[in-house]
Amino acid sequence: MAALPTMRPLGCLRTLFRAQDAFQPQMSRRFISTAYSKRPERVPLPPNLPQQFLSQLPVRMQPQNASKPVKVYPAPPSTSKACKDPVAKITESQLAVLDPKGERKALFDYRRNTRSVKPGDIVRVTFKNGDPFNGVVLSIKLRGIDTSFLVRNELTRVGVEMSIKVFSPNVQSVEIVQRAERKPRRARLYYMRSRKHDRRSVENLVASYVRQKRAFLGGKRQQ
Amino acid sequence: MIQLKTLLNCIDNSGASVVECVNVLKKKRPATIGDRIVVVVQKQRAAGSEGSGTALANKVRRGDIRHAVVVRVKKELQRKDGSVVRFGDNACVLVNKAGDPIGTRMNGVVGQELRDKQWSKILSLAPVHV
Repeated sequence: MAALPTMRPLGCLRTLFRAQDAFQPQMSRRFISTAYSKRPERVPLPPNLPQQFLSQLPVRMQPQNASKPVKVYPAPPSTSKACKDPVAKITESQLAVLDPKGERKALFDYRRNTRSVKPGDIVRVTFKNGDPFNGVVLSIKLRGIDTSFLVRNELTRVGVEMSIKVFSPNVQSVEIVQRAERKPRRARLYYMRSRKHDRRSVENLVASYVRQKRAFLGGKRQQ
Repeated sequence: MIQLKTLLNCIDNSGASVVECVNVLKKKRPATIGDRIVVVVQKQRAAGSEGSGTALANKVRRGDIRHAVVVRVKKELQRKDGSVVRFGDNACVLVNKAGDPIGTRMNGVVGQELRDKQWSKILSLAPVHV
C-alpha cells in the first residue's frame, strides 16, 4: 500500500477528489447563501439632524466640511470678434501715416501698376541720412507695410546687395534710372548674382542719369 | 559669419592678401562687421605689385599672427532701420594691438556698421561706405 502513491503520484489525488464529491452538495449550498447582492444605495442624511448627533458622523460628512459649490465665471469677450483681422487694420493705419497719398504703394505694386518699379530696373534710392544707393532691382516683396525691394550693385568690384523697406521714413525717393531692356521671365532675378548674368556696376549709368537730370531741371528744385 | 578657419580677403596695403581667422575676440558667436578677430596671414601680396610697393614692402609675412577688423561679410546684416545689407565677399583690415590699422591705404567698400563700433580710423581710410 505504501509503495503505491510513489509509483503513481496522482493516484492519491483521485481518492481525494472522491472525498470532495461527497462534500460538494453541502459546499455549494453554503456559497449560494453568500451570493452577490447589490450594493446598498447611500441613504441621504436626514435633513435637520439634531446638533448633538453631528459629532457621531465621520469628519468628511459633517456639514461644515461639505464640498462647496464651484464658482463658474462667464467666458471673457472674444477678441477675434472685437477685431476680425488686426494685422490688416494695423497695416492700413500705418500706411495712412507713412504713405498718405499712396504714391509709394503704387510705385512698387508691380502686379497692377504698369508704371511701377519692376524687377530688372535700375533704380537710385536716396535716403534722408546717408548716401544714395543705386543698383538693379532683383526682387520686390509685397508684404503690406513690410514691403521691401532688393537692390544689387557692384562697388569697387565687390557685389553689394541691399534690401530696403519701401515705406521706411528714411527713404526719401526712389527714381527709376533705366527700365529693363525686355521683360524678365521671372519675378525674382536671383540668377543675376551669378557671374554670367551679373550686371556689374551701374554707377556710370546712374552718374550720367544724374548729370542729365541736373541739366534738364536746371536751377529748379528737384522733385 | 566669420569663425575659426574662415578665409578672408585683406583689403589694406599691409602686405597680406588672404588671411585665416583663428579666433573671434570678445564674442562667443561668429564675427560680423566691426568685430575684432585674430588671423593668420595665409597669402602675401606680391611685393612691389602696387605703385608704392618699395617703401612699405609687405609689413606682414606669411604665417604672421595679427589682429584684424572685419569690414565686409557675406552673411546678410540687418540695420536698425530694417534694411538688410549683404556683400559679395568676406574682408578684413589688419590692425595692431592698439587698434590702429597696419596698412595706410584701403581699396574696397566697407560696411557702415564700423561707425557704431568706433573704427573711425578704418572708415577714414576706406574709399566707399555702404
